[in-house]
Parts: sequence; C-alpha cells; structure tokens
Amino acid sequence: MSDFAGMEDLLQDFLQEAGDLLSDVDNKLVDLEKSPDDRGLLNDIFRGFHTIKGGAGFLNAAELVTLCHRTETLFDKLRNGELALSPELMDMIMAATKGVRNMFGDLSSGVQPPPAPADLLISLKAAAEGQPAPVVAQDAAAGADAGSPDWDALHAAVSGQQAAVSGEVIPAAASGAENEHGARPAGKEDARGNLPAPQAQHKSGGGGGGGRRVDVARENTIRVDTARLDQVLNLSGEIGLTKNRLTSLRADILAGKNDSETLHALDQAVSQLDLLVSDLQNSVMKTRMQPIGRLFQKYPRIARDLARQLGKDVELVLAGEETEVDKNMIEDLSDPLVHLIRNAVDHGVESPEERAMAGKSAKSLVRLEARQEGDHIVIVVADDGHGMAQEAIRAKAVEKGLITEEEANTLDDRQSFNLILMPGFSTKTEISDVSGRGVGMDVVKTNIQKLNGSIEIRSEPGKGSVFLISLPLTLAILPVLLVLLGDQPFALPLSLVREILPIERDKVQEVGGKSTLVVRGEILPVIPLVRLLGWQQERYPEYGVLMQTAERSFILGVDSFAGRDDAVIKSLEDFRPHGVAGVTTLSNGQIVLILDMKELLSDPGVINGRVPALEAG
Amino acid sequence: MPDAKMRILVVDDFSTMRRIVRNLLKELGFTNVDEAEDGAIALQKLNAEPFEFVITDWNMPNMDGLTLLQTVRSTPTLKHLPVLMITAEAKKENIIAAAQAGASGYIVKPFTAATLSEKLNKIFEKMAVA
Repeated sequence: MSDFAGMEDLLQDFLQEAGDLLSDVDNKLVDLEKSPDDRGLLNDIFRGFHTIKGGAGFLNAAELVTLCHRTETLFDKLRNGELALSPELMDMIMAATKGVRNMFGDLSSGVQPPPAPADLLISLKAAAEGQPAPVVAQDAAAGADAGSPDWDALHAAVSGQQAAVSGEVIPAAASGAENEHGARPAGKEDARGNLPAPQAQHKSGGGGGGGRRVDVARENTIRVDTARLDQVLNLSGEIGLTKNRLTSLRADILAGKNDSETLHALDQAVSQLDLLVSDLQNSVMKTRMQPIGRLFQKYPRIARDLARQLGKDVELVLAGEETEVDKNMIEDLSDPLVHLIRNAVDHGVESPEERAMAGKSAKSLVRLEARQEGDHIVIVVADDGHGMAQEAIRAKAVEKGLITEEEANTLDDRQSFNLILMPGFSTKTEISDVSGRGVGMDVVKTNIQKLNGSIEIRSEPGKGSVFLISLPLTLAILPVLLVLLGDQPFALPLSLVREILPIERDKVQEVGGKSTLVVRGEILPVIPLVRLLGWQQERYPEYGVLMQTAERSFILGVDSFAGRDDAVIKSLEDFRPHGVAGVTTLSNGQIVLILDMKELLSDPGVINGRVPALEAG
Repeated sequence: MPDAKMRILVVDDFSTMRRIVRNLLKELGFTNVDEAEDGAIALQKLNAEPFEFVITDWNMPNMDGLTLLQTVRSTPTLKHLPVLMITAEAKKENIIAAAQAGASGYIVKPFTAATLSEKLNKIFEKMAVA
C-alpha cells in the first residue's frame, strides 16, 4: 500500500506545488544556459531545490532530500562565484532535475523513491567540491533503478564522513557504480533507442523533462482563486433568493391569484433566474480554468534537450501563457503538444549547416502560442524550418497506399497537409528515436478531436510550418445543430458543420455508384443520416448539412432542422450505443441524442452507395 | 506555557510548508494562525495587526527570513516580538547569524510537533524570566 498513509493531502499539495517549482527551475535552467553568470537565476534555482528539499523532509523522502541537497550545494557554490558553470556541469544539473522529477513520479504513485543513480550523486558532490566530475550520462531516468544493495556502501563512503572523502574514494566509488550498471553509461543512448516501444514510452513519460508518468492517475485537485469561488457562492445565494420568490409566487398562483401584477412578477423572477443560472454556469466553468502557462512552461526544456541531442540550435518562444483553458483540457493537451514540439524540432527545423546554406539565421525559432478567439482557444505550434512540399506528401500517401493516385489529384492544399494526420503516415522512412516513439501525428489528431477540437496545418516550403489547434472553451457545453428525421431530433456538433443546403434531386449525380452533389466545384458524397443510423429510408432527404471532419467532407442528408442549441452534454458512460456521443435535454424536456460523426462514419459500408430514389412520401 | 489563543504568523514562500507548520501548530492547540508568503508581506501584516509570535522560513524571495528578523528587531513597535527561524540547514554559521540578528529560537527542517512544542516552551520560559 501507500507509504504515505495519513499524509495523502499533504503529499498532493507538495507534488502540485513542488512540481510547479521544478518546472520553473527547468525553465530557468534553459535561461541559465544563455546567461550562465546571472546571479538572480542562480539564486532562484538554488532556492527551488532548497524549498523542495525542505518539503521532502517532512514527507520522509530521504532520497529526494539527498538529491536536492547535493544539487543545492552545487548551486550555492555557483551563486557565490566559487564555481563556474560548464557544459558538463549543466548536463549534470539537468540529470539531477530529471532525477527529482522521477522521484515526484514515485511519490505520486504512493511509494518512497529509490535512491538517485549513484554516479549522479557522486558527480554532484565531486563537482561541488571543485573536483573534476566523472562523466554523467545524460539520462538519469535510465539509471533510476540503481537501488541495488551496493548503493548503501557507496552512500556511506561518500556521505558518511565528509572529511574522509578524498580524491581516492571517489574514483573507486564511481567505478563501483559503473560495475553496477554494467556497460550502460557508454552505450546508453543506443540502448534507449532499442527499447521496446511501451517501455520507451514509459521512460520518456517520466524522464522526458516534464511528461507525467503514464501510469500516474490524473491530478484530481485544482487551485482556484478565492475571488472566483466567492462569485459562485454569491450567485448560488442569489439563485436561492429567486427560488424563494418563485415559491411564493407559485403559492399565490395556486391560490387562484393570476392578475397581471402576479404574472409580471413571475415573468421577472424567471428572467432573473435565467440570467443567474447562466452566470453561475459561467462562474463554475471559470473555476476549472487554468492558465495554459502551467503546461507551456515544461516545453522549453524538452525542446532544448532534444535540440542538443540532434545538434541543432533551437529556441522555443512562448506566448499567451496567461490564456485560460479548462483543466482537463490542459492535461489532455500535454501529450499532443509534446509531440508537435518534438516534431518541429526534429523534422521541422534544419541543421545549422542547412540553415546557413539557405541563408537563414543559425538559431531556429519554434513558437508555441495560445490565444482566445471568440469562443475558441487557438494554440499555435510554428517553426521557421524547411516547410513541407504538398507534392511530396501526396506522393508519400499514395506510396503508402493511404489514398489512390486519383484521390491524390483531387486534393487541395489544406487536404494535402491533412494527409500527414492519417494513421500510418510518416514522411521520414525510418522512425527516429526522438519524435517517432511509435506514435504518429494521427494520435495528435485523435487527442485533439476527443476535446472537440480541430487541427489545421499550413506550410510554406523554405519558410516553415504552422500547426493550428482550435479548441472549444469548455468541454461541458457543446454548440449543436438540431436536425430532424421525421419527428425525431438529433444533435450534430456545430464545429463540424460548414453549411446547410437544400438537396435538389435533379442535381444529385450518380458517380461510381455513389450519390454526389457538386458544391462550388467540389464533388461531395451525399450520405443520408438514416443510412448511418441503419434505419429504413422512407423519404428522400430534403436538406443537406455540409460537414467536414479531418478526413473528409460530405453532405449529410436530413429531413429538416429544429435550430441550434448549446447542449449540456450528459455522457452515457456505462451504456453508450455506437455513434452516440451523449445526450442532452431540450427546453421542452425532450431527450436528444448527440451523434458522434466519426464513429458513425467508421463503418466503410455506410459511406459508399447511392441514395435510393424513393417516391416522395 | 504559551497561550493557546495567541496570534501566530507563519511565513514561508512554499504553501505546502505553511500548511505543514499550521498543522503542527494545530496539533499543539494553536489555531489562531495567519500566513504570509515572504518577508515583505509578513512585515505588512505585522505592521497592520497585532501578532504575538512569528515563525519564519529563512530562504524566501523578495525579503528573506533573516532580513525580516532584522527589520522586526529594528522596528520599535515590533522589536519584542518572539521570532522562531526555520531552516533546512543546521550549519553553524547560519545559527550564529540567526542568533546575532536576535532570533528567539532556531529549528531545523524536518521537525515534529514535539520539537516545535519544545522550542515554543523554551522561548516563552525565557520571555517569562526576562
């Protein structure tokens, strides 16, 4: 069971606060590389480790205390000018922060972390004492399992008696550590590349400079500004008062009082309630909103580590960190953004040589930006690299058998770029260790779609690529279009709807056994909703909804419309029929199914085929 | 014995730590506790309302615990206020610096409610004698 019985609350608080602190330290480390003599930065980083150490002490996390203490001692020397920062020292410090993050991972699964890799601890100590440091492997995570019996002896040797530590003890201890790891330090990078996929993912999840470990449950606490909570409290009080007013009006009306004054009062009370409830919904939603900067701040480190590994000079520029996004969305965005940023650094930007040849600055810029546009949040990942050529993408997709030559010729710019989001597409023939990770851009797309968002790609050869992610402000309320089949309404996510058009039967053409309509030069298949639902078609669809998913555009044939609505989604967690995302209740109390278009379209049989020409019924 | 109703200010930039200290104080029966995030905020609070005891961390941004202590000692209205310093270090030079600045006591992280209680009692014994 947990090593922290009775301390769970404390542990949660610590992990959240210390996690933020560590991300901050990570960013400051990236800054420190640019200005290694900045005393302010050195001091802040020192304090970061110091504070984490202090908190860890109360959790009895002795190994975390040890690691933080050694790193802190090193920073103490650095900030006092007793030591100067060198690239070797920087690598060691980076390894130490990774080690600390791994330990947070252990703590969050309720176990006391094992000791940090012995060679790291020894190097930190040696460095703080001004001795030449034994080489530390980049990846502390890979050594995190070094808690073998030998370690106690090592620990005693290096920390037992400070005075006894001499130049002789350290090399001896270091070689001990090396034996323990086998030949690992030398061939570590290679070994990591060859790990089977799930394991590799686990490692990079915990040690990737910021990712949370895959096996750790999502955070279920949230920090809310008390002003926002007060607003919720205030509004619920107001609603209570309005409810009292309505109760008394009801009594009056039931008693037969229905003069114009009473009805006017009723009207007023209901309008007020209406206003208050929407205010309350807004306020409650706001309590879930968090600045996206909390997520962004871990990426500069990831970009930096990867760029260094690839021998590139990349700066990740952040903008719009104060943009507020739903907490769950922040968590679900984490992995897709890691992937996009890795992708930009790995495939997007060129090597310094290539950039020099192209007449570009040696340093490449990757921009990560968030902003609110109307009722949407837009997140941009842009690079100034070599961009993508549409022809190459189309050719690749045909070669991989994802589309036919014929289909390839009909694609416009946007659709061509969207091909890279298809499962099985990768423009590099060999999957690289860095951004490959066995998952592709299709996973990014799937994750974004889960959030009811969309992704758009723009690219200009020679200038760079832009990935635009557009997300709804909240997951709880979904703008929908209500369509009718006979008398039965269904709700479609409005984000997929491009336009509504009447279906004129004489304009419908049969092409290759498919019913199609030409809309402004674009040939689009007509798919009646009845067929998607597997119902018997009773009459010819009168209206078409031009819908656009990431894969395709098509016209959904329906009988009529019942308007648009902001649906409050109730999910059907235990019982969810195929193709139904959830349900919502209309103002008249009627229950409406919200359709999951992607799932409905997943059955290839429903897409092809003609619309039977029935007699109008 | 210190009065359980006395008003205590806990100063630390790490909110988890403030909570830890608060919980320990609660265990000892002290519930009249306020918090400050750094020395500067602490000073504002101390000047604005009466407190009878200050427990402060050493290492903080803006104004650290030692500066807070020195400022308290040089402010006529506050100079008799007992201040307990918390640090993660048991270094001799730190203890000397704290003593020279006029700290009433010194406690090293991590500590238990018993240790805290002992320190508090010692400080109040001394104050009673003086």
